[in-house]
Amino acid sequence: MRTRALRRVMAAASLAGALLIGACGDFNVTNPNQPTLDDLVTNPTRTKLSAAATGLLVGIRVDVISYIWRLGSMGREGINLSGNNQPDYIEPYFGPLSGTGFGAAIWTNPYREIRNANTYIDAAPKSASVPGPEGLSSGEISASLGFGKTLKALALLYVVGSHAALGAPVDVDRPITDPPAPFVAEDSVYGYIIGVLNDAQNDLTAAGGTAFPFPLPAGYGGFNTPAAFLAFNRALVAKTYLYRATAASSTCGPTACYNAALAAIAAASPTFGGVGSAGQFATGVYYDYSAGAGDLQNDLSDALDAPIYFALPDLVTSAQKQTDGVTPDQRVVSKTAAATAPTPQSVGGIAITGTLKFSIYLTGGQPDPNHNIPAIRNEELVLLRAEANIGLNNLGAALTDINLVRTNAGGLPALGSLGTQPQAIAELLYNRKYSLLWEQGATWVDARRYGLLNTIPIPAGFANSTPPGPSQFGPSVVPTRLLVPDDECRALGKESGCSPLGT
Amino acid sequence: MRKLRVWTAVLAALVGAAGTALAQERQITGTVTRATDGQPIAEAAISVAGGGPRAAARSNAQGHYSITVGPGDIKLTIRAIGYRSADVAVAPGQDVADVALNEDIFKLEELVVSGQQTGVERRNATTSTAIVTSEDLKQVQAATLDQALQGKLAGAAIQENSGGPGGGLQIRIRGANTAIGSPDPLFVVDGVLYSDATLPSGLFNVTGSSANRGRGELQDDAVNRLADLNPNDIASVEVLKGAAASSIYGSKAANGVVIITTNKGKVGRSRVNVTQRFGFFDLLRGPGERVFTDSSALATFSASATPKLDSATVRSYEVNGQLPFYDHLQELAGSKPFAWETLADVSGGNDNTKYYVSGGWTDNPGIITSSFAKKQTVRLNLEQTLSKRLDLQVTSAFTRNQTDRGITNNDNNGGSVTYALGYIPSFIPLLNPDGSFTKPALTYLQSNPLQTAALATNDEQVIRFTGGANLSYQAFTTDHSSLKLIAAAGADLFTQKAQVIAPPDLFFQQSQALPGVSSLANGDSRFLNWNLNAIHSYSPESGSWRATTSVGSQYEDRNLNRTQVVAQGLIPGQTNIDQGSALGQQFELRTEERTLAFYGQEELGFMHDRLLLAVGVRGEKSSANGDDSKYYLFPKASAGYRFANLFGQGSDLKLRGAYGETGNQPLFGQKFTTLQGGNTIGGTIGTQVGQTAGNPLIQPERIKEFEGGFDASFAQGRATLEFTAYRRRTTDLLLNLTPAPSTGFTQQLVNGGQFRNSGIEVALGISPVQKKNFSWLLRSTFNRVRSNVDALPGGITSFRPVNAGFGLAFGEFLVQDARPIQQIVGSVPDSLGNLSTVFLGDANPNFTLSLSNDFTFGNVFFSFLWDWQQGGVAQNQTLSLYDCNGLSPDFDAPVVTNPDGSVRPRGQYGFDACNNTGDARPFVQSTSFLKLREVSLGLSLPRRWARSIFGASDLRVSVTGRNLLLFTNYFGYDPEVSNYGAQAIVRNIDLGPYPPMRSFLFNISLGF
Repeated sequence: MRTRALRRVMAAASLAGALLIGACGDFNVTNPNQPTLDDLVTNPTRTKLSAAATGLLVGIRVDVISYIWRLGSMGREGINLSGNNQPDYIEPYFGPLSGTGFGAAIWTNPYREIRNANTYIDAAPKSASVPGPEGLSSGEISASLGFGKTLKALALLYVVGSHAALGAPVDVDRPITDPPAPFVAEDSVYGYIIGVLNDAQNDLTAAGGTAFPFPLPAGYGGFNTPAAFLAFNRALVAKTYLYRATAASSTCGPTACYNAALAAIAAASPTFGGVGSAGQFATGVYYDYSAGAGDLQNDLSDALDAPIYFALPDLVTSAQKQTDGVTPDQRVVSKTAAATAPTPQSVGGIAITGTLKFSIYLTGGQPDPNHNIPAIRNEELVLLRAEANIGLNNLGAALTDINLVRTNAGGLPALGSLGTQPQAIAELLYNRKYSLLWEQGATWVDARRYGLLNTIPIPAGFANSTPPGPSQFGPSVVPTRLLVPDDECRALGKESGCSPLGT
Repeated sequence: MRKLRVWTAVLAALVGAAGTALAQERQITGTVTRATDGQPIAEAAISVAGGGPRAAARSNAQGHYSITVGPGDIKLTIRAIGYRSADVAVAPGQDVADVALNEDIFKLEELVVSGQQTGVERRNATTSTAIVTSEDLKQVQAATLDQALQGKLAGAAIQENSGGPGGGLQIRIRGANTAIGSPDPLFVVDGVLYSDATLPSGLFNVTGSSANRGRGELQDDAVNRLADLNPNDIASVEVLKGAAASSIYGSKAANGVVIITTNKGKVGRSRVNVTQRFGFFDLLRGPGERVFTDSSALATFSASATPKLDSATVRSYEVNGQLPFYDHLQELAGSKPFAWETLADVSGGNDNTKYYVSGGWTDNPGIITSSFAKKQTVRLNLEQTLSKRLDLQVTSAFTRNQTDRGITNNDNNGGSVTYALGYIPSFIPLLNPDGSFTKPALTYLQSNPLQTAALATNDEQVIRFTGGANLSYQAFTTDHSSLKLIAAAGADLFTQKAQVIAPPDLFFQQSQALPGVSSLANGDSRFLNWNLNAIHSYSPESGSWRATTSVGSQYEDRNLNRTQVVAQGLIPGQTNIDQGSALGQQFELRTEERTLAFYGQEELGFMHDRLLLAVGVRGEKSSANGDDSKYYLFPKASAGYRFANLFGQGSDLKLRGAYGETGNQPLFGQKFTTLQGGNTIGGTIGTQVGQTAGNPLIQPERIKEFEGGFDASFAQGRATLEFTAYRRRTTDLLLNLTPAPSTGFTQQLVNGGQFRNSGIEVALGISPVQKKNFSWLLRSTFNRVRSNVDALPGGITSFRPVNAGFGLAFGEFLVQDARPIQQIVGSVPDSLGNLSTVFLGDANPNFTLSLSNDFTFGNVFFSFLWDWQQGGVAQNQTLSLYDCNGLSPDFDAPVVTNPDGSVRPRGQYGFDACNNTGDARPFVQSTSFLKLREVSLGLSLPRRWARSIFGASDLRVSVTGRNLLLFTNYFGYDPEVSNYGAQAIVRNIDLGPYPPMRSFLFNISLGF
């Protein structure tokens, strides 16, 4: 009786056991909707890495439009008058900057790009262990690393370029569960960027004649092999050295920085068509935009009757005259046009009317969402070389470069001399303003670097504005820097508008 | 000494006599009847006390029984479902014992769940129980089971999300226990896990309620799929509220477990029941509209409106020299459409086979033109004895459910009809004299809501099959122990297709860049589960205690896949998604989750279960957890002691206490950090790290709860009082934090923080009169929960939950340390007009109380159920629409003292708050209400009528109504509302919902 019952129980239990083993699915459910980060890092095949590299190219230009018009607003190149985004023109002109809107911009997206780049830099070497053609060769891995590191450095350059003395976190490649990365001083950020770019230089050099294992879009035409891309890398390092040399707390020893910049420009020069050749000003690296599916459009390509981005009329009035003594600088002539539908906006009782538009991103006078935007081009390298030479007090060499730009880009008469060093700087900044107009916020960046924010003209109507305190606004009612976003401050246990280094 | 010997001899003789008597058996017969009216009771179980499992019998359809017993004084115990058990002493030589049983009005002896496959009598249960049975569910027609349960369960807050046809409710048990985890209870129907997923129809593609798909979909006013059950098929609904009761269901039980049992066949001849209902639905309540004169219209619309109206325009609306009043809500939702429902079931069986077959057909049109809910259901339940030891039970149900719930709720495109009503002054007509639609001069984005209701569709159709099998094997039975093995498996499968069409002819579509939208959404859900159980019972010879040991395993596999394609710029007259000029917002979303659990439980009963102790633990692993191989343990322990006859014969007092832990699983995908595709450059697609940092260590939220209380019954079970107090803490909350943006992420999933919910639940039942010709039954439930945020992780002191509201100027939810979980804050101006953010109320009400009365006078029965909610606040954005546009009916009303201290009509204060001061106070309103949920008045017609007219055995007619009356100071529609559907925290947001409906139905029930 007992044993029979026991036998029945055993039979039922073994049936149950079989069911238990047989009827369970796999518990390691992978994500059926999207690729996961783990998959890229643990099994980095050629195609996955190629998609990730494309993601870096996508990400590096996400904030560029915003960078141009936000920094352009602060440098009084232009203004965003779109009515439903009032803070976009109120904040830079009347303050206060806010830790969430305008003022906190140019932070999250570059750091997202840095996160992407770090992931890519982590994953690429592991593809050596992927067998067969889906793995990368060691040359391709070096090419990939040089590419990833260059874009990472560029993303950080956007952050420090807009946040300046606040410094920035650089050691951000850490687990999300760790405390937030600490801020380092502005000078250290430049040092870090230069280090990353020099690392990338080694990788690109090691790649030799290997082709990049991913496609580069049209804007990188001429820079789409590791050897040519190295010129882009050198151009960026030159720019970083100059930013570093002029930073308030610079520790690089000006001579060393300027010489390093000159060496880098020399290295980049051939690929850029020769720095000093007037016909090559446009040669460079460009960000691509398009109206294609999933792509980003060039929103700065604003029709002449559109109510969003306007150039400030002061661009025309403060331009030097061409040799006829009447026509303003050719650069303002070709880069701006009268608005066909002037847009009035009013805030705080101050009426602002947009009357002048930028035309640099128009094609045949029409908006063109596919218009590219320069990242760095030959004309800028000429002026970077002039700046380095002014820094070294080689004013003669600087004069040659400045006259090259004045006469060829601006249609202006050549200068006989640059005068004193401060006068040379003023002339340099004038040319940078018009040569790089509405391309990278250069007016504000330069004025800040040289402590000349008070030289930024106050447009008519803004004179009676009274922006608050010196921490955000300089004596000239121009913001001195963008803010650390509130979320970053909170994560550090600090109040909104924090300055973690007390700078 | 001599005396002693004599006594010993006598004793020996007695023992000897007893010994010989055991061999002599006798037959006892009798009839079991209902005490109130002498009706026979079938299937009563008759057993000899202490006689072991073999001495048992059952009564037949006439109530007769016959049982073989030994000689001498014996005690028979008679039990029947729905009746209080009775013990009958039978003297030696007596061979007839008739028994009259009293009805168990308050279900004190009903078996309630104590484990996956075990149960105890409710009066002995060690945790708070809430149970509703068939007769209380089907008296008054309900669109869905959850609607039928409203006001009937102590401790379950069941609230409508809108008034739309076909249901749409949220069941919330013991407060808000999560921030971003699932707020839904777990539903188990006859052992099969039943999906209550809410699949949005894609309405947001028309309303543009949010540009973000996730947020838009929540505002589609979709029905949860509990709607596919036919309430008429339900035998009982039991809610496991506390963690101790629900922990056997592991990490899906945080919000309670609802155990639904469907009807089964009974031994005896076939029984047929047919019910026909017909009647209509009707608008319960609405905001009303402001009545204008020329001067008040000009004052309001000549300055601030878009476009501004001048006096000539205003005068052009005049009829007979004054501005007319059109009741737009009546025009939109004033119809009283014919509704009907046909229900039929057949059941019966013999000792080996029992069956229940049912069908239902429901057609409930909505009060807004062309909205409706239709449902067809078929069910077959079978029980078959395969051998002496083996029983098989099979359940199966098929449902087809169709709804069109119209276009309501939040809107940014002019689609929502109830939203647009808040923009159209009462003097502007919506219909031309020829019946065509006007283009109102003042409206929202050119909308004419009557036109939208007439031409747009929001159709969805669900086809669903649910089936389960349960095989039970009695491995051995001795006098003292038994072992039962149970294997059960179930499948719940449905597909849903939804098509939302806004033709390009609609005026509001013409303001879109690409007029004409057709959105096609498909969803399919597959739940599979099986479990294995072994239940061992032991009781020593003395019968003084028993032990029930159960162990088992449970496996669940859930899949839900959804796709959607949207076409815009439709060719006029066409609805196919091929017929548009552009595609937008298509997506595919797949989710997959597997859980395996093992559990064990020990139940010890002493003194016939008067003292009951239970301990158990469940270990569970799930693919949703970061570590998919880790078993999370959910223990429980509970005890109860019942004092019998403490307040006189037939009274009971039971004290009980329990501790349990349960969980809330991470949502699908929370452990992944994704790579986002979809972005291209130069025609090449790239991947980027997603904005949300998934958490590879994510684990279930954990609820730890203490519960205690007492259950008392008096006067032979004619009055009961149940009281429960509990305190639950949810730790390891699933939260979406904002990390430092320098990490490259904008969101980060973490476990952390703590919520606390404590409360009391009271259920009272009294049967003051229980006579043959008159009975009266009174029941009441009381529920009060206090919720608090005890801690938040990551150094934050507050966070704005997703969908918290529409700006501080209108009130928003804010989850804040040491504050009520569901607090609403908003901006309030000081005397200088400077705004500060101030606490404006807690959405969680002070208490809810329900009261039902059932009367029977001879053949007439009458019952009603009141539901009262006191306190709580809602973000009344419907009110803000009317106020912002100066359309509130109390704009010109007598002056009152407003919260800002001003003395003026409330409508003007609201207008000013919206347009000038930014004061949120007018729009955060109390949700106190008193609702007449159910009324039923009926008559059992004489048997001969039934027989002569229909050949039936009984015939009942009744008139019933649902949601007939609503008393509240709340502005607009119904304080039971949720723009975002079922939500743990952000409920009570009111933004142009489907208006509430009441029903009036006439019912005829026939039994054969």
